[in-house]
Amino acid sequence: MRFSFFLSEAFGSMRRNWVMAMAAVITVFISTAILGAVLVTRDNLNQGATSLKNRVMIEVFIKDSATPKQTQALERKIQGMNDVKSYKYISKEEALRRFRERFGERIVANLPINPLPASYEVQVKDADQVDRVAQQFFNDPTVDNDPGTHNGVKYAKETVRKMLGTISLIEKGMWVTTGIFAAAAVLLISTTVRLSIFARRREVEIMRLVGATNWFIRWPFVLEGFITGLVGAVLAAAFVWVGNWGIANWIQTSQIDFLSLRIFRMWWQGGTWPLGLMPTLAILGAFLGAVGSLVALRRYLKT
Amino acid sequence: MIVFEDVIKVYDPDVVGLQDFTCHIGKGEFVFLVGPSGSGKSTLIKLVLKELVPNSGRILVAGRNLGTLRKSRVPLLRRNIGCVFQDFKLLPNKTVHDNVAYALEVVGEPRRSIRRKVPEILSLVGLAEKTDSYPHEISGGEQQRVSVARAFVNHPPLLLADEPTGNIDPETAVGIMQLLVRINRTGTTVLIATHDRDMVNRMRRRVLQLEAGRLVRDERRGSYDQVTEEVGDAF
Repeated sequence: MRFSFFLSEAFGSMRRNWVMAMAAVITVFISTAILGAVLVTRDNLNQGATSLKNRVMIEVFIKDSATPKQTQALERKIQGMNDVKSYKYISKEEALRRFRERFGERIVANLPINPLPASYEVQVKDADQVDRVAQQFFNDPTVDNDPGTHNGVKYAKETVRKMLGTISLIEKGMWVTTGIFAAAAVLLISTTVRLSIFARRREVEIMRLVGATNWFIRWPFVLEGFITGLVGAVLAAAFVWVGNWGIANWIQTSQIDFLSLRIFRMWWQGGTWPLGLMPTLAILGAFLGAVGSLVALRRYLKT
Repeated sequence: MIVFEDVIKVYDPDVVGLQDFTCHIGKGEFVFLVGPSGSGKSTLIKLVLKELVPNSGRILVAGRNLGTLRKSRVPLLRRNIGCVFQDFKLLPNKTVHDNVAYALEVVGEPRRSIRRKVPEILSLVGLAEKTDSYPHEISGGEQQRVSVARAFVNHPPLLLADEPTGNIDPETAVGIMQLLVRINRTGTTVLIATHDRDMVNRMRRRVLQLEAGRLVRDERRGSYDQVTEEVGDAF
């Protein structure tokens, strides 16, 4: 078997049937680009979700009457918790300073005493665990709860629940979309290949009459499908990469400052370029092209 | 070279292709296969190529039993049979040279010998000047000569022609026939299915006549119609 002959046959036929070859490249391009876009979007959203989850924080307020010993005991308790990623002590003075920054000097100047309690800001490892961690402070005597309530422990309970729900919904939706577009890609590509081989079935018939073995006939077609798929998929990968980078760049530098855009900025940080995506798309495209040719040829090579 | 023993070929809805067909064609013979359309001429040729498989009976080609020939060996069988068709069956995207060379590429012929053999055969069929033309750029007669060149470039022991002169004018047809005769002189067995009455009558070779799938006449040095001599008597 002479590889160079097959390769020149494949390139020759692509040059002659360039309209068909281009249609195939475009088909592969569109379907893998959509697939790639879905994958990249999913990745960005995942990263956004992770960074959101990381910001979930519990504020534990300390009674003014707590002794330093009690405060230390509380700190040791926080240290001992497995689900806690980090924590920070906010003193009464720090709390006041933050308050002043936020609401202005005037309000603070009229205060006879500092009414703000000291607190610990606790970050949990996993947003799903925030409830469980918070509950452990509910009945702590050092925590500044009003009698009969847990209002000395503050965290965005509802927000966290809604956020987690949304994230998992988005993830599910993305998986479904990925599946649909992958299936569409396979159908589109196999149809294009079948059309181009149907147009050349006479050629295949003649090859068989001259005594070409089935593999001798197949190789140029398979190579053609391989090259077509590879070109389309590499173009698609490049397109998705540029798109990802462009969107991230636009969001980061945009002057428009809608609330939604600010949220979006957090979601789409663009740094998330899954390294495996480019070769995966390229291999997928080449594989689809080659297998598409094989399958489409099957009915012309029965005997 | 070709042996048919009690071959029956029936197409799906009871359409008879060949019926109880028995005949022997020896090595180096030149045989005409005649009969109206649908009498089974093309069926016979397809059976020899193993494009079709008979319902019963035995077919031997060059000593090989086609019934026991494995699928993977069919291409090897075809490489030993040159084929010429009414519609030429040239690859439209390849030049005259590449069409002929393809038959050699298929066999795995070294490039050097391809470069030698193709111009040789093309000048034999008188197409040395058309080497780089595409099939649509040359006349029907020329296309048929390309197809004869392709069929013969491997020097196969057997050459089949299905209506080789059906699509070309009578004068050009004579040229094609002469080419086939020359090929026959090199020892290649030639089997020609044809409607060309004048040609058959002029050449006086062995004639096999088919009617509705049956062999009705097998005559050495025959003519197209059985009745010619009787007609002569009538006058």
